[in-house]
Amino acid sequence: MDNTKVRKIFTLGVWGDNPIFRQILGICSALAVTNLMLNSLVMGLGLIFVTSFSELTVSLIRKFTPKHIRMMVQVLIISSFVIIVDIFLKAYYPEMSEALGPYVGLIITNCIIMGRCESYAQNNPPIYAFLDGVASGTGYAIILLIIAFFRELLGFGSIFGIQVLGAWWTNWIVMIMAPGAFFMLGIVIWVARSLSPEDEESNKQEVAKA
Amino acid sequence: MKKSIGYPVFFMVIVTVVFSSILAFLNYSTADRIDFNQNNKIRRKLLYAFNIQTENEDPQAIEDKYNENITEKKINNKTIYTAEENGNIIGYAFPIEGSALWGTVKGFAAISKDFKTLLGIDFVSHSETPGLGGRIDESWFKEQFRGINLESSQEGKYIIYNPKPGGNVDAISGATLTSDSVREFLNVDIEDFLSFAKEVNLDGQY
Repeated sequence: MDNTKVRKIFTLGVWGDNPIFRQILGICSALAVTNLMLNSLVMGLGLIFVTSFSELTVSLIRKFTPKHIRMMVQVLIISSFVIIVDIFLKAYYPEMSEALGPYVGLIITNCIIMGRCESYAQNNPPIYAFLDGVASGTGYAIILLIIAFFRELLGFGSIFGIQVLGAWWTNWIVMIMAPGAFFMLGIVIWVARSLSPEDEESNKQEVAKA
Repeated sequence: MKKSIGYPVFFMVIVTVVFSSILAFLNYSTADRIDFNQNNKIRRKLLYAFNIQTENEDPQAIEDKYNENITEKKINNKTIYTAEENGNIIGYAFPIEGSALWGTVKGFAAISKDFKTLLGIDFVSHSETPGLGGRIDESWFKEQFRGINLESSQEGKYIIYNPKPGGNVDAISGATLTSDSVREFLNVDIEDFLSFAKEVNLDGQY
């Protein structure tokens, strides 16, 4: 294993090419499950599991997969792993399964997984593909947790279900509802992009050159 | 790779068979557990509606308590749960259901043996907004339904929200539609159950 390559995979997945604020992928679930931190954490872990193992499998069979049916194969693999997560939650964490409701099943439609399978796992060896899945999933999970932190704190006055703000705190109902998610996501993307603007600068230069 | 039709089909079949077998195996090996979880939830909700306490939240304790106190009976295609404590019937529970703001709310309501008091309610499933309508799950809301007198109400208005005259329950602020729906279907379901009980002479069945 090449250490610099691994480091690159992780810096890209978590920050440089972060699925949410760079690629704007996986937004639906980022909006839907972020009203509680616990839900976001489980969703993040589920996504890390599905992305990494899907990428691993896609990469393992990439040499045998006929190119024109690869999408079909990828969807099949992704949905299998999602069903595994769903069954696992139902059997061992029924309360969590209920709280996340249909969103576990909707991991299938999360563009991050398909995107990474297409762009990375198709052309890279299994071990790196697996790590790429872990990195992208982690990037997604971190952003979800940041959004959920503010939504839960302002909306319920709690963190991971533990009340931290006293009775004096008036819950911001808007934070629990969908609009709160849009505001928070917008702010997070704004902040993250102002912290690392170099990408757009280089894009502009390229456009200028062209 | 050669673009024949045979190979892709063969490949797809193999991949499908492999993954389907894995999933089928997982599904089969966890089916009992998932089933138990679902039944456990219903048992817990019924015990709550009857206000029967369990020592702890352990699934086994809940199952024991349930088997000890509650019996299920089908009468004219309706499932009625009867609760006993120390050999005396304390009341009957029946399923309640209605559509609220985002979807169907399902649950149970329990009524005392003499049909004069509402013992309690609990919700099994709903899809209301977390933090707003979703607060029907919170105990402060559900506890209000304990001991509501069903005799003094008129025209099937058993549940009346404060501060209306005769109000007996506080609605959830910020979740008027969910609160109203819960009141509506509870009133209807209680009315239905009471007339059903009279019709089949529920007392005489035991």
